[in-house]
Order: sequence, then structure tokens, then C-alpha cells
Amino acid sequence: MILKVEELNRVVQATILPEEASLSNAEAFKEEMITIIGNGVRLVIVSFENVNYIDSSFLGSLVVALKYAMPRNVDIYLVSLKPDVKNLLTLIRMDKVFRIFNDYEEALGTLS
Amino acid sequence: MREDSDQITIVFKSNREGIPGTLQLCLDHIRQKTGNSPLHDDLMAKIKWVIMELLTNAVKHSGERESVLKIGLTMDAVILEKEDYGKPLVLTGQDKKKIMWPLEEMVRPLDFPIYHNGMDSLCVRTDETGRAIFFIEQLAELEMPALLSDTSEHFGLLIMTKASDEFAYEHEPDTGLNRFISTFYFNQPLP
Repeated sequence: MILKVEELNRVVQATILPEEASLSNAEAFKEEMITIIGNGVRLVIVSFENVNYIDSSFLGSLVVALKYAMPRNVDIYLVSLKPDVKNLLTLIRMDKVFRIFNDYEEALGTLS
Repeated sequence: MREDSDQITIVFKSNREGIPGTLQLCLDHIRQKTGNSPLHDDLMAKIKWVIMELLTNAVKHSGERESVLKIGLTMDAVILEKEDYGKPLVLTGQDKKKIMWPLEEMVRPLDFPIYHNGMDSLCVRTDETGRAIFFIEQLAELEMPALLSDTSEHFGLLIMTKASDEFAYEHEPDTGLNRFISTFYFNQPLP
């Protein structure tokens, strides 16, 4: 299990549990995300609060999840990224396709 | 120049479980060698990303059980090299054309676009020797980044190219040796 999941009103808070978001868990993360998205939710907020580093495999899974979510009208927000992780996302422009917030509360504040 | 002893060679068994430990070994070596003049956190983060991607590349693509990682420090630069005798590099461009090593004579030198995310175009340029140098061309920003149309296979190369000051690939046809080289130059030489 890569994600700790809580759902309320079709909004899922999914916290990545491992410190390393990498090749070793990228596939499991993708499968768990696709299961969540397929359950009829409207927003998945993914927290990186435990993640110290991330690699291209995990970033690829994140993009696959977004591509699966978009035609289903499901949003994916990213929260609680440590500076190294956020800088890497920015380096390859993923900050242009994901909405990134400081924490769950800030992300939830965007909901009407 | 520093002494040759400032380069360490690490044999990596190309198993994904070994990535965190090998990464830590490399970073510890760099910290130890830079000692009283530690590298800036931003530079260390970039070095970490590239080592991580080199190791991930070894697990995913080389097809070999062993790779060799060399970490070298000079007065001017940190140089990371990954060597193996696995499958030579094959790149598939956006138009599905492929470029593979060893290169045919007729295609040298060559500029080859690999991937773009709407803002950055990842390209490779080969020289007369067949050495491939990766580089980025900045594109005008598009409304919807093309990142979503082309997923992970090129993220690793993109990360290594953007994080490094120079990123290159060499293939020795005689021996079958593949070598990726990432170089980070210091703004000021180490004391």
C-alpha cells in the first residue's frame, strides 16, 4: 500500500507513505491512483509530506494518473512538496499541468 | 587537478533495491571530498537527481546485471559517469523515427529532436565520433503543455540534461561499452 486514503464528499486525500517515490513503488502508486479515480470522486489531493525524493518513474506514473483523470472530470492537486521534490517537478515543467498547494487546507480552500 | 584518488568507482548490481544505498554512497563520497567547502544545496540536489536517474536507467534499460558508476571531483567540476556493456542507446523521436548506436556513418553529425513538453525541446547532437550531446531548446510557451501527450520514457533524460551543465553519451563499438557522462561545473574552483 503506497497511499493512505481518506475520502469525504467525493474528495480524496491520498498521502504517499514511502520516503522514496521511485521505481520501486511507481507502478503500485499508479494502480492505486487509477482505482481511486475510477471510484467516481471529483478531486484527489496527493500529499508528498513524507517524500524526500522522487524519480522519473514516479513522475511518469503521476502523469499517467492525470491523463486517466482528465476525461473523467477528476482533478488531481499536489500538496506538501518538500523543496527538492518541488524543484524537480518545476525542472521538467510539471508545475504547468498540476495545481500545487502548500497543504491540504489550502487545497480544500479552493473548493466552493 | 586533484589526484586520481578523488574518483571512486562503484559497482552497481542493477537492482532497484540497491538504488537508495548506492545513491547515499555517492553523495557521502562527494560530501567527504568537498569537506570544508561543501557544495551548495541546489547543486547537491541536482547531483542527487542525476545519480538517481543514472541508476534507474541502469535498472530499466541496460539489460545488464552490473553497471559501474564513477564519481570524480576536480577543482572545477563534479563528473558522474555510468558505464555498462548492455544494450546500446536507442532513442525514439516525436515522429517515431529512431536513432541507435553504433551510428551509421551516413548520419553523422546529426541533430535529433527527442521530446518536447510544450516549453522545452530535448534534443541530441552527435559529433564525428558518434558521441551524443544532449541539450535543451527553449520553446515559446504553449497554452496546454504537451507534457501530457508523451509520458515517462523521456523524463529521465530530460532531468539529467536539464540538471547537468553537460550531459553526453558515448558508445565504443569495439568493446560494446556504453557511457553516460554528466558534468557539473563549479562557479568557483574548489580551494
